[in-house]
Amino acid sequence: MCDACGCGDTKVIPLDLHERILASNERAAHHNREHFHDHGLVAVNLMGSPGAGKTAVLEATARALGQQSRLGVLAADLATDNDATRIRAAGIIAESITTGTACHLDAEMVHHGLHHLPWRALDFLFIENVGNLVCPAVYDLGQDANVVALSITEGEDKPLKYPTMFRKADLVLITKIDLLPALPDVKMATIEENLMAVMTRPAMLRVSARTGEGIPQWIQWLRSVGRPRTAPCATGMGITV
Amino acid sequence: MHEYSIVQAMFEQIEQVRREHHASSVRRIRVSIGEFAGVDPTLFESAYDVYRVRTPCEHAQLQIERVPESDELLLDQVELEVA
Repeated sequence: MCDACGCGDTKVIPLDLHERILASNERAAHHNREHFHDHGLVAVNLMGSPGAGKTAVLEATARALGQQSRLGVLAADLATDNDATRIRAAGIIAESITTGTACHLDAEMVHHGLHHLPWRALDFLFIENVGNLVCPAVYDLGQDANVVALSITEGEDKPLKYPTMFRKADLVLITKIDLLPALPDVKMATIEENLMAVMTRPAMLRVSARTGEGIPQWIQWLRSVGRPRTAPCATGMGITV
Repeated sequence: MHEYSIVQAMFEQIEQVRREHHASSVRRIRVSIGEFAGVDPTLFESAYDVYRVRTPCEHAQLQIERVPESDELLLDQVELEVA
């Protein structure tokens, strides 16, 4: 009601808010991050297309690092427990987050997922996000690093087509490089040039979960997370730590 | 289609300020979407049109400002109507 004359007009209140729309997710992510840091845990948000090789990378990581460090995985998919089952078979603890219809994880889902995992005892927590090159990039989960798996079969121009995902990546793992001899049309240099063009601080590694190529460099990179990096990243033979 | 969950988050923010100011409805909503925010303005509008039905935002006008070279996603301003 208009207070001045009682004419019945609606009063309009303009409010300048300038609030981040995802502020509530950011609060939940901050909460997760505090938990992780308090327990000396490094959290990695592993993203990529469906079929990019995220789970295979984690299996290879379990084989290479599982004896020296305590690893755990939260594996997200719309349905099934398949990825967590595969990862457990590789010898590390894993729990599923089934998102139903949701195309991404948010910080709250990760928080709930942690209730089912003895995460406080871990050195590294890998959060395997929903296979998707779009939506997961938008949500902070409380991770220390964003890693994107990009398989050489996906097409050289994926970084150009999905720039937001690759802009947010601290590291890109170019996966399935053992298939390169069978793919004469795939130019590794083009994939790396496209990554260089979109990544904020380009860093990439060529890996094969099948042969183990590049996995030692990936482990070395993981160990550097949370500590000052020794050298700026540059390309060259794909070994760019 | 994370635009739906983003619009939902925005509605929760708007609902909170609407209650705080005892407003009956919302007249205008202004948001800015950064070029690198990972949010598609057209999909954001579609999601908004789905969500606003039978809410205090039903007749609110949505204005979207696109911000180049930014990854911000902000609820800039709302205009509330107090009957």
